[in-house]
Amino acid sequence: MEEIKVQQHTPRKYMNPYLAGVLLGLVILFSFYLTREGLGASGAFKRGVAKVEQIIIPAHVNSEKSAFYHYVKNGEDPLKNRLVYMIIGVFIGGFLSGAINHRLKLKLEHSPKITSKTRAIAAVIGGAIFGIGSAFGRGCTSGAGLDGMAVLATSGFVVVGMIFGVGYLVAWFFRKLWI
Amino acid sequence: MNEELIISGRMNPYIDPHLEVWEWQIPLYLFLGGLAAGLLFFAAYFVMTGKEKKYPTTVKYGPIVAFIAISIGLVALLLDLKHPLYFWQLYTTIRIDSPMSWGAWVLLIITFVSLIWIFSYLKEAFPKYNCKIGFIHNLLGIFIVKNDDETWEWKYSWLDTFEKYAQSNRYAWAWVMAVLSVILGVYTGILLSAFNARPLWNTAILGPLFLTSGFSTGAAMLMIMTKNHEERLSYSRIDLFLIVIELFFITHLFMGFLASSQVKVEAAHYFLGGEFTVTFWVNVIILGLVLPAVLEALELLKYKIPVIIPGLLILWGGIMFRFIMVEAGQIIRYLY
Repeated sequence: MEEIKVQQHTPRKYMNPYLAGVLLGLVILFSFYLTREGLGASGAFKRGVAKVEQIIIPAHVNSEKSAFYHYVKNGEDPLKNRLVYMIIGVFIGGFLSGAINHRLKLKLEHSPKITSKTRAIAAVIGGAIFGIGSAFGRGCTSGAGLDGMAVLATSGFVVVGMIFGVGYLVAWFFRKLWI
Repeated sequence: MNEELIISGRMNPYIDPHLEVWEWQIPLYLFLGGLAAGLLFFAAYFVMTGKEKKYPTTVKYGPIVAFIAISIGLVALLLDLKHPLYFWQLYTTIRIDSPMSWGAWVLLIITFVSLIWIFSYLKEAFPKYNCKIGFIHNLLGIFIVKNDDETWEWKYSWLDTFEKYAQSNRYAWAWVMAVLSVILGVYTGILLSAFNARPLWNTAILGPLFLTSGFSTGAAMLMIMTKNHEERLSYSRIDLFLIVIELFFITHLFMGFLASSQVKVEAAHYFLGGEFTVTFWVNVIILGLVLPAVLEALELLKYKIPVIIPGLLILWGGIMFRFIMVEAGQIIRYLY
């Protein structure tokens, strides 16, 4: 058997963000064409939570007062939804992109001035706040923002304005996490 | 008082065949049986072709995992029985026309053959006796003696004689194990396809399909286990080849259904737009076959892929395939 050695490659640069933005827009267009609906990320995670609730405390999620009731009414499986499969696709696509561009490495990216631990804690807190926000806003950057703007809904523009506006305002307080 | 008006005999309970009785035990066992068949076949094949030095993990450690898999599978089978203590009655008869009889006997024989195999490689697989767990240390102490350099010997001469016998007849045992492992792999499919009242299962392609899938999961397990680069790459190749064959079989499974009687056409539609479409296509075809095939092709093209990812995906696809086939097979039936 001939010897095949895995060659060491330097990771390729990321794509031009403007080009990637246009491509993302085309993905939304394609999603509307195929499924009549847009993208959404937080929906998959909320459905994941609903599934866990359905297993552990079914009485809670099955009551009409629950925010997740519409995921499980009529005995539906909350995970049987295109958003859940979209997230699986995001992982596959991200993994393949990493593999093809020689970037496949387990690492935690952070500013050199903070430790990995600080970064991890900050990310968990930030993620939790974003999760709460997306629940209040009935969608996240992709579901409420991108899809909303794609169909020219006022709420979409308000969401994106608020996400970037508030982000701009509070960035100064958290700058040390990054620079 | 609730009054019921009986207008048909079919309203009585259990008049219609009631076969929705297989839960997690049977698909888990079918998966583990296929996995063990794959592991044992590769071990036997590389000894038969004189390549055991190139495939050390396959030959020495694969059969140990296979033995554990068969043991767990047998426990699952016992749990499925209504009267577990009556399992021995399967061994009071040999019925050529019963897949379950074939399976019961093949399982019994292959378990012993794999034990002989493991025994013959024990000194090579574990050259040093340095078990830290007191209980196992004492248990092993009944059979073996430790040397000063941490190597070990058998305590009794009959164990030495048996070891020499097993080692000098490895080639013959390899043939026995190869044949039995193919029967075991095919049987996991035949067990289902012998049910003529189950349209989804009642197809002859299920035997070869389950065999291929079992070999593919075996290769994936060895790919994860081995630390030898050459061995890992050859399993990437083998798995890629097996995945292509499996996709071919699955295509023909559905082509066969669609060209058959109405009930089989309907069975196929459960997977082509019906209830099981998304579960099957996402878990089995995309995550379990196509994605690992792409990743393995990338690895052969010298991209760096952590082997655990395609390996686990293939195992996931294998286990989901059996769970979906067993579940769907019990739902799809002639009588409605």
